[in-house]
Amino acid sequence: MHNIRLMMLVVVWMGGFVAQEAQAAGQPPLISVVKKGAEKNTVSLAGLSAAGPNGQLFVRTLTRDLELSGWFKVAPSGAVRVSGTAAEAGSGVQTGCRITWPGKAFSWNKVSMGQAEVRRQAHQLADEMVRLIAGETGIAQSRIVFVNRRGRNNADLYVCDADGLGVMQVTHDNVAAVGPRWAPNGRDIYYTSFVRGYPAVYRMVAGSERKALASFKGLNTGAAVSPDGGRVALVLSYQGNPELYVLSLASGQLTRLTQTPHGAEASPCWSPDGRSIVYVSDVAKMPQLYIVDVATRQSRRLTYKGAENVNPDWSRKGLIVYATKRGGGYQIATVDPRAGEGSCQTLTPAGDYEHPSWAPDGRHVICSSRSTLYVLDTLGDPAVRLINIPGNWMSPDWSDR
Amino acid sequence: MHIRSVVVVNVALMGALVFMDTGCRTKAGGWRWPWQKDRSAEVGGLTDPTMVENTDLSKVTGEGGELVSGARFEDTLQAVQGVKFAPVYFAFDSYALPPSEVSKVEQVAQHLQQNSGHVLVVEGHCDERGSNEYNLSLGENRALAVRSYLVNLGVAADRIQTRSYGEEKPAVAGSGEEAWHLNRRGEFALFQK
Repeated sequence: MHNIRLMMLVVVWMGGFVAQEAQAAGQPPLISVVKKGAEKNTVSLAGLSAAGPNGQLFVRTLTRDLELSGWFKVAPSGAVRVSGTAAEAGSGVQTGCRITWPGKAFSWNKVSMGQAEVRRQAHQLADEMVRLIAGETGIAQSRIVFVNRRGRNNADLYVCDADGLGVMQVTHDNVAAVGPRWAPNGRDIYYTSFVRGYPAVYRMVAGSERKALASFKGLNTGAAVSPDGGRVALVLSYQGNPELYVLSLASGQLTRLTQTPHGAEASPCWSPDGRSIVYVSDVAKMPQLYIVDVATRQSRRLTYKGAENVNPDWSRKGLIVYATKRGGGYQIATVDPRAGEGSCQTLTPAGDYEHPSWAPDGRHVICSSRSTLYVLDTLGDPAVRLINIPGNWMSPDWSDR
Repeated sequence: MHIRSVVVVNVALMGALVFMDTGCRTKAGGWRWPWQKDRSAEVGGLTDPTMVENTDLSKVTGEGGELVSGARFEDTLQAVQGVKFAPVYFAFDSYALPPSEVSKVEQVAQHLQQNSGHVLVVEGHCDERGSNEYNLSLGENRALAVRSYLVNLGVAADRIQTRSYGEEKPAVAGSGEEAWHLNRRGEFALFQK
C-alpha cells in the first residue's frame, strides 16, 4: 500500500515536471496559470491513415478537438489509440476506425459528404471519445454565437464551431445587437436588436427567419430561455423602470419577478434546474449579482466584493461564472451559489476580460478580451485564443449542446 | 546538474504538488481527480423542449390579465424634422439629472407645452465602460429620469416614451474622460401625433 502511494506520487510529480517543461518551451500563455493544468489521457492518431485532403481535414479536426477538450494530449504514442482509415469518398470522407484504450475498444465507421459534414463527423467522434474514455461531456459539437461590433450602431451576429472555425455570419442588419443567447435546443438564438430603431427582443431559428418576441414600450432585452425551453426571462421597462420578467411561451403570460423602482435589472440567467435566476441589479447603487427564486419571487444578494459584478452564467454543474471589477479592471471569476461569495475563484488576472459563458462541459469558459474571444479552463490549462480573423468580436454565448 | 540540487529540486516539486490544488473543490468533503464524473448537480437535464413556434405578441398578457400592448411612437407616428434640443449629460454610473442640465429639460417641456400635437421619445446612452447588457438598463434609467422630470414640469406622461441605446451608439468615438462625458447623455426625438 505504502509503495503504491509512493509510486503514484512519483508518477504525478514526473508528469507535472514534464508538463511544466513543455509549457516553458512553447508559447507563453496569455494568462499566467497558477494551477498545473489538468491530467490528460495521451492519445495517438499515428495508426489513422488519411491520404487525401478530406481525410486529412478529418484527422486535423479530430486532433484539435481532442486537445481542446482538455482531457487528451495527442502524442506519437499513447494509452489511447485511434487506428484505421479516413479515405476520400466523393466530396467527403469514409472513416473506418478502431479506438482502443486499456481493456476497451469501440469502432467508428461513417460516411460524410462535404467539408462541413466531414468536420461535423470529426466533432462527433471527439465527443464520443471524451464520453467513453474520460467519462465527461464533450464540447466539440457545440457552437458559439457572438457579436461583431463594427462601429457606432453597426453590428451583426456570427456563429462558429467550438474550435473557432466555421465562422458564419447569421444576421445582416448592420445595426447594434446585444446579448445573443442560445436556446437549450442549440438551434434558436435570442437577442436584442435595434433594427427598428429601438431595443427589442428577437428569436431567430438558425439560418431562418427572425421573429419579434418582446417589442413593448421602453426597454426590451435580456432574453434567456429556461432549461426546459418553455419560458424566457426578459428585462422590460413597460411598467416603469427595467425589471425582471418571465414570459411563458405557451400561454403568452408575463410574470414579474422584481419590484425595484430605484434600481435596474439586467442579464438574467437560469439555474440548471430552472427554479432560480441569477441576475444583475443596481439597487445597491452599483451592479451586483442577485438570485431570485422563480416560484416565490424572493431575491437574495450573492456578491458584495468588487465595484461591479456583471454578466453571470450558470453552469450545469452549479457554478456561476461572471465578470468582476476590482481595482479598475474586469476579470472573470466563478462562485458556487450554494457556498456563497467566499467560494469565489478568479480565472484571469484583472484587465479587460468580460462576458463569460460556460461550455457544456461545465469546465471551459469563453470570454471576450481586446476584441477577440478566449477559452479559459477552470482546471488550469492555458487560455486559447479562439478567433483569429479580423473583427471586433464580443459578447459570446456557448450552446448547451 | 549536481546530484544534491537535483534532489532538492525534486523534493521541492513533490512538496509543491502535494500542496497545490490539483483536484476539484468538492461540495461535501471528499477529494476527486478532475476527470471523475460528478453528475450530482445535473438536475433537470436537457430534454427536447416542445417549443411554441408562434408566440403571438398581440396576446401577451400581464399578471392582471391585461393585454400588454406595444404601441411605440417610432412605429406609429411621423418624426418631426428641424427641431433640435441640446443633449443632457450625466455623471458616471448615475442616472440622476444634474442641476446643470435642468434648464435644457425645461426648454423641452416648454416646446411640448406650445406644440400639443408633438410627443417625445427620450433616448438614454452610456459611455463604453461596463457590460453592454447592464448599460442598456442604465441608459433606460437615464431616459426615464428625464421623462420623470418632464412629467413633474406638467407634461402628460403618455406624451413621453423612452428608449435606450446603452453604449451602442456613442456621440463621440474613443476613450478617456472627455469622450465618456459626451457619451453619457440623453437625447430628444419629436414625433407628430
